[in-house]
Amino acid sequence: MNRLALRMLFGDHAKYLMLISGITFATILMAQGASLFCGLMSWTFAPLRNINVPVWVADPRVEQVNDNKPLRDTEVNRVLSVNGVAWAVPLYQGNSQALLFNGTSKLITLVGLDSSTLIGAPPVIVAGRLEDLRLPNTVIIDEYAVERLSEGLGRPLGIGDVFEINDHEARIVGICESFRSFTGGPFIYTTYARAVSEYVPPQRKMLSYVLAGPSPGVTPAEMAARIRAETGLGAFTGQEFMWSTVWWYVRNTGIPINVGTIVMIGFIIGTAISGQTFYAFVLENLRNLGALKAMGTDTATLCRMLVLQSLTVGLIGYGVGLGVVALLGRIALHIGKVPFLMTWHIPAGVLCAVLFICTLASLLGILKVARLEPAIVFRS
Amino acid sequence: MPPYPPPDQPLPAPVALRLAGIDKAFGPPEARTVALRQTDFDARLGEIMMLVGPSGCGKTTLLSILAGTLAADAGDINVLGYRLGAMSQSALTRFRRRHIGFIFQQFNLIPTLSVWENVAVPLLIQGASRGDAQSQACALLASVGLGGREYERPGRLSGGQQQRVAIARALVHRPPLLVCDEPTSALDSHSGQQVMDLIGTFARDPLRTVIVVTHDPRIYRYADRMSEMEDGRITRVLATPADIAAAHPLN
Repeated sequence: MNRLALRMLFGDHAKYLMLISGITFATILMAQGASLFCGLMSWTFAPLRNINVPVWVADPRVEQVNDNKPLRDTEVNRVLSVNGVAWAVPLYQGNSQALLFNGTSKLITLVGLDSSTLIGAPPVIVAGRLEDLRLPNTVIIDEYAVERLSEGLGRPLGIGDVFEINDHEARIVGICESFRSFTGGPFIYTTYARAVSEYVPPQRKMLSYVLAGPSPGVTPAEMAARIRAETGLGAFTGQEFMWSTVWWYVRNTGIPINVGTIVMIGFIIGTAISGQTFYAFVLENLRNLGALKAMGTDTATLCRMLVLQSLTVGLIGYGVGLGVVALLGRIALHIGKVPFLMTWHIPAGVLCAVLFICTLASLLGILKVARLEPAIVFRS
Repeated sequence: MPPYPPPDQPLPAPVALRLAGIDKAFGPPEARTVALRQTDFDARLGEIMMLVGPSGCGKTTLLSILAGTLAADAGDINVLGYRLGAMSQSALTRFRRRHIGFIFQQFNLIPTLSVWENVAVPLLIQGASRGDAQSQACALLASVGLGGREYERPGRLSGGQQQRVAIARALVHRPPLLVCDEPTSALDSHSGQQVMDLIGTFARDPLRTVIVVTHDPRIYRYADRMSEMEDGRITRVLATPADIAAAHPLN
């Protein structure tokens, strides 16, 4: 009877496509919205993805990674003195302006690394050498910077090209991969000393973060707790800082409400379209279902057939919808200007939502079938 | 599947079914429509019993009750030795699955299934394998003159051919009771004739009872006996084909 149910479903091409379309549309809206949200959120903690270190030490008032409050340079030594800290290095991170070849300027995110260790350097250098960053007036730019800062040059920026940051020469010695930032500025890496002495206007306090690592046998969380307790500074593990950043954006921006609305609309539209179409499908098949009931099909079997039809439609629509979203995601990532991040939670969550929609849709049909009198078949 | 229980109140041969004192009304108490009033009806093994009468006289209601698809308000219903009134819904479903073949006025073929799949439905409901069901269905389709059309959709067949598919479906599981609701009313005269020929020859079996509800006088001559209904009651039973011919001379 299961095969019969599927044949009844697939046989009506138009209705079948309508049902699939409803679920596909709902899946696209939900998965796309959620991936957009996760993509945007991932942009907010891009520095944490680019600089993968155990512990970030910051001003105690810092809540998220893009809003650093400068520290005194001496805080590096205070952190280093905490028991369980194996190493601690300074990091500068801030927005600046790069002067382009056509005379205009562009926003950049400048990252200053400890020149002796280069801890916090981008993990993937696609051209050039990381060590060359120790040469005078040198920077490593990310691939996005190649695109953004090439205006007026007539060709893409490359190794050996020179541009200006704060009226100081910046010679490119490497190109790296990096995750996009929320502000949209490409990442430019240089040494900490050069960043604070040349590329950024002088201020009393210039240190953005202290990056630290634990001694053997000490977990990053333990070390962060010790730093907080002994120095009064803020200290986060990478995960803690990421969630702190995400929640800050959730609390302080309209992003979750806007994207949440998209996801909710997708769910409501999907439920409405699928429920209504499936119910119409059941109504149109009522006479056939009545005939099956008259011929001796029990209600449980009919309900099972409806659930099977509904789940089949749901899973196919889900698969198609997710495929479309994955394709859109690939395009978005290729273009690089649209936030998109599909973690495993999104397909899993959308699958749950689709299963809920299917259950609801089949429930509508089941209620109808359960009350269906087999004598309906004798009425003309 | 558990063994099917034996009849709880066997009827004396050759009686196949007996309905006594059946009442049935529809609608709310303040606007009740009485369909059957103290109706008695019986049919025998091996015969084609026709139930005739004007529209709205209660024929289809009576047919629905004796087929176990509609509950009576009152009365005793004994079909093939089983007291339907005492059965639960699930027992009634099993009873219909095993004992009854249906032929409907509007054929009620499932349009998205192929012809052979439609015929195989009663076997599939009984749990037969798809292969067995297919071979039995195709063999029966060949018998009713539809060999070679097994894989077509019902929508591609004429009305007469569709009703032949419905006949094959009604007989494929060899039911002892065949109920036919206006089997020719949606067909032209020639197709109706062919369908009744098929029912008259193919469905006739000494161990099978065929009940035909109709108000089509063109097919009265196929009946062995005839019960006439009016206003929810059986008004007359014509006991032989000769009596039927005499009462309805046009046929």
